[in-house]
Amino acid sequence: MFVGRDLERVDAAAKVAGRAAFAYDLKKEEMLFACVFRSDRPHARIRQIDTREALSLPGLARILSAKDIPGKNLFGAIRKDQPFLADGAIRFRGEPLLVVVAKNEEVARRACALIRVDYDEIAPILSPADAESSPLHLHKNGNLLSNRVVRKGDIDKGFGEADVIVEHTYSTQWIDHAFLETEAGIGYPDEQGRVVIESSTQNVHYKRAEVARLLGIPEERVRVIQATTGGGFGGKLDVTVEGFLALAVHHLQRPVLMRYTREESFLANTKRHPLHIEYKTGARKDGTLTAVKVKVIGDTGAYASYGETVCLRAAVHATGPYEVPHVHADSRMFYTNNLPSGAMRGFGIPQLAFAHESQIDEIASLLSLDPLEIRMKNCLKKGSLTATSQVLSASAGLLETLKKVEPFWRQRRKKEEGSGFGLGCMYYGIGNTAVPNPARAQVELAEDGRIILHTGVCEIGQGSDTVLLQILLDALGMQPPNVILDRGDTDTSQDAGSTSASRQTYISGRAVYEAAGKMREFLERRGYYQGKDLREIYREAEGQQPLRFDGFFDPPTTGLDRETGQGAPYATYGFATHMTEVRVEEATGACRVKRVHASHDVGKGINPILIKGQVQGGISMGIGFALLEEFIPGETTSFDGYYLPTSMDMPDIEVLLVEDPEPTGPYGAKGVGEPALIPQAASIVNAIRDAVNVKVYELPCDVERLKILLERKEKR
Amino acid sequence: MLPRFSSRKAKTKREAVTYLAELEQSVLLAGGTDLLVRMKRGEGHRYLIDISSIPELHLAVAEGSRILIGAATTHSQIGIDPLIRNSARSLAEAAAGIGSPQVRNMGTIGGNLANASPCAESIPPLLVHDARLTIESSRGERVEELEQFITGPYRTTLTGKEMLSTIRAARLEGYREGYRRVAKRAAWAVSRLGIAWAIKEAEDRFLDVRLAIGSCTPGPFRARNAEALLKGRRREREVVEEAVKLCLDGIRHMSGERPSFIYKLPVIRDLLRAILNNRL
Amino acid sequence: MNPIAFTLNGKVVTSEVEDHELLLDTLRERFGLKSVKEACSIGECGACTVLIDDEPHYACLTLATKVEGHDVKTVEYLGDKGKLHPLQESFIRHGAVQCGYCTPGMLLVAYNLLLKNRQPTEEQIREALSGNLCRCTGYIQIVEAIQDAPPLF
Repeated sequence: MFVGRDLERVDAAAKVAGRAAFAYDLKKEEMLFACVFRSDRPHARIRQIDTREALSLPGLARILSAKDIPGKNLFGAIRKDQPFLADGAIRFRGEPLLVVVAKNEEVARRACALIRVDYDEIAPILSPADAESSPLHLHKNGNLLSNRVVRKGDIDKGFGEADVIVEHTYSTQWIDHAFLETEAGIGYPDEQGRVVIESSTQNVHYKRAEVARLLGIPEERVRVIQATTGGGFGGKLDVTVEGFLALAVHHLQRPVLMRYTREESFLANTKRHPLHIEYKTGARKDGTLTAVKVKVIGDTGAYASYGETVCLRAAVHATGPYEVPHVHADSRMFYTNNLPSGAMRGFGIPQLAFAHESQIDEIASLLSLDPLEIRMKNCLKKGSLTATSQVLSASAGLLETLKKVEPFWRQRRKKEEGSGFGLGCMYYGIGNTAVPNPARAQVELAEDGRIILHTGVCEIGQGSDTVLLQILLDALGMQPPNVILDRGDTDTSQDAGSTSASRQTYISGRAVYEAAGKMREFLERRGYYQGKDLREIYREAEGQQPLRFDGFFDPPTTGLDRETGQGAPYATYGFATHMTEVRVEEATGACRVKRVHASHDVGKGINPILIKGQVQGGISMGIGFALLEEFIPGETTSFDGYYLPTSMDMPDIEVLLVEDPEPTGPYGAKGVGEPALIPQAASIVNAIRDAVNVKVYELPCDVERLKILLERKEKR
Repeated sequence: MLPRFSSRKAKTKREAVTYLAELEQSVLLAGGTDLLVRMKRGEGHRYLIDISSIPELHLAVAEGSRILIGAATTHSQIGIDPLIRNSARSLAEAAAGIGSPQVRNMGTIGGNLANASPCAESIPPLLVHDARLTIESSRGERVEELEQFITGPYRTTLTGKEMLSTIRAARLEGYREGYRRVAKRAAWAVSRLGIAWAIKEAEDRFLDVRLAIGSCTPGPFRARNAEALLKGRRREREVVEEAVKLCLDGIRHMSGERPSFIYKLPVIRDLLRAILNNRL
Repeated sequence: MNPIAFTLNGKVVTSEVEDHELLLDTLRERFGLKSVKEACSIGECGACTVLIDDEPHYACLTLATKVEGHDVKTVEYLGDKGKLHPLQESFIRHGAVQCGYCTPGMLLVAYNLLLKNRQPTEEQIREALSGNLCRCTGYIQIVEAIQDAPPLF
């Protein structure tokens, strides 16, 4: 059995040896280097571009602009509103204008410094409030990108039934993905004259489609291969380098390498949406929640990217993992001239969790109820109705996660001055919201007797390579040397969808399981399980029938009603409880996270050690979100101004897995990538309140802000 | 990627100052953790003179009532040096927390002082230890108190032809001494506030109190008014409060009101109380 | 151009480097040691960590000329796919590798720590790693891998 085992990662040996080839490590004969010339104004029209001095540099190969785009100069994950290269309108500082190609990086970047642009500047729109009231429209459809709602029950009745009502406004900051490997790729023409892109990416088929549209050629004339990818977290879902590389290869017919500097990644890549959340909760005096009213306003920046997804998820998950009869959620994303906000681990739910977990703790406090008990009282369970009135039919282990944490909660003791304990719970829909998001996989018997798994799934560090192989091995009843993985190549695999929304174990895992099932049937008929050799089976079958078996899975979901948001947007959900102990030093405002007990219902732990790694990494990101990280457009340039947690910021962590099997998941598994992060900041904020009786409504609650809050409290 | 420049490696102090005298637009390179970052961000120099392997610049030895520290001694070396740990503990503690382990292996005390960031963490402990700096050039040498050496944020009295070579720190025996930084994360962060202290006390009486605060003022700050008040006084609540007030007044006097003071001054107040009451 | 001679991963090597050349680029381009990663270029992330005389340094802020006469080690020194060092095996065993980008730097810092300290405490390990960022793991399994690594000699 491999499912359920701490199997060693299949990609670890190359990575520890330093031999794993990331995109910037790749090299080809006659390779050129490309970089992007970007706008330094947030809102403008391009009057004139002067590239003469740049073009005269020895070693300069070509400067490409929007005019050199043979196909469509628009891309976007959901709505195609973003130019690859600006053509007149500039909508954010950092927007690409030109691709500069030269013999090496030094010449390319020097050429960029010599390019002169005349801009007609326009007053920038820098907040959702401005966007809402401004007569200036950043896009044809106005400044409101998206408005999604959830309406359940009768909100006035709900508040009418409440004995206590708590109402607050919460706000969160832009967050950078800060993957250690910046965006990078290499493009080259192959022997058939097709464009090949190898890049650091979270998806390959989507990138191929966008590149094909950019060049105005059929998808079959493009090949995208995932290079070893050094982290994604949602920041490598959108087209990053792929379009620029493809354009350069198309025009120069030579290999071209590209990588973003860290400053470039901070400047121009998408960010977590900063959200403004107005939250009103009503509860009866026994702690039962009666009503939740939430208004979410987000700054989606210059282009749509995944703004619509975040908008929708925020509305759908606004109540938190609780059964609430009356819900009124309103979520809006506005275009501004800030940089685009996009997909970032949790798609808006880490921000919402900060709000809903603070709210329920405050209700508990007003009613003198234990924070654990009020959560147990209201938590979603099997048979519960969610905010979209979906009945949870299976795999709803939140109560189990609360019970796992319960002994630690009951035994908590404030050992020193400034000690505090806080809880954070969450639920999170696995897979894309209320739309089809299938995955395909293929299992093939090769001539040498090995089984090849062909999958488009992108491994970004979370362990999908290993997990999918474990599923395959158990489904076929084989050992590791029998199987090999072929992944992340559009030539040899079918679309598995993106590595995002915590979906690959669940959806591609199921697709692999389905494909393996068909292979297994075939092998059974051919006598493999009676001892026949695979090479012989191949020889006997070759020519008679195809030896590739397809797997497909699309989670059963429904669309959501436009007026009420009601429906079944996900086939399964992750659930979790984090209990965090902090120590606040009141003299300085320093908050140290001492210990976290993190319990997650994962359906089935295919590889527990990988899951623990995900949860620990998620906790680290949650600490950054709560206490350390803050991206300020125009100010934050690199890691010297953007603090990720170091090893010294990390607590002791205990991960407690709950397995409430998901019937539609492979061996009962669902997903954990985003759940790992989602409740952490919320639990820290609640622990701070417990420690020093200070309420936090703004993130990050860094050392300076916490000291100011402490001082204000003293003065009162 | 760095802009192009020429470099020379100096094997002795004499070579270093000769290069400085003869080469136009030259600058000294020790660890590189400040200089090379500035150059990557646009600062230009024609010549870099590498002084990191000059033996005379790497030392920490006792000389009478002082400790001699070579300017190219790294923060790592200072953090573990037994002489400094025994007789200038606040300096060892500060050095042991500057940047990250790699930065401490590369960065030097001389570079820290010559860069003269208001947040440079060598400054408060060296102020507490009445540091005297020796500055050499092809014309000879001069000695200057640290407080005179730094004239403002990122400004020192060094001309483009001079090299800081030695730091002489007063040995302090019988003091309770320490350094505390406040930063945005637990390690590897610019100090938002740094306090160095050396306190000699007997029973409940302050005999000699030395306090220096970093990252609050445009130039080096030693809380001399507070120190004078405390000298010889009993450790009592009113005395401590008065000293804290004098210290904060001194900071305000030097810096004017700064937006960051809304959190920095309360932190200094609370840390000083703890330090003076031996609760840190 | 400056001729330099130094010990690289246990062997004496020579090269010609430019005055302004960074050790990071020398190792990656002239010696093909792609394990040394550039992730920020200003000494704020640790991905470019190499050992110089067995002590961790940031190669992105080290001039190539500085290593003349010194000993330089990259992760290739520890082992390769054919035969891994026990420290590397411990990393694999403990799940200390996710995306892998920070891993070479982490291994070198761990190696240096174990050279100086046969049985480091958890606190000492965390401190040693505090100059290397990781966005994936949260560091816990890296610390466990180092705790569980056998002594170097």
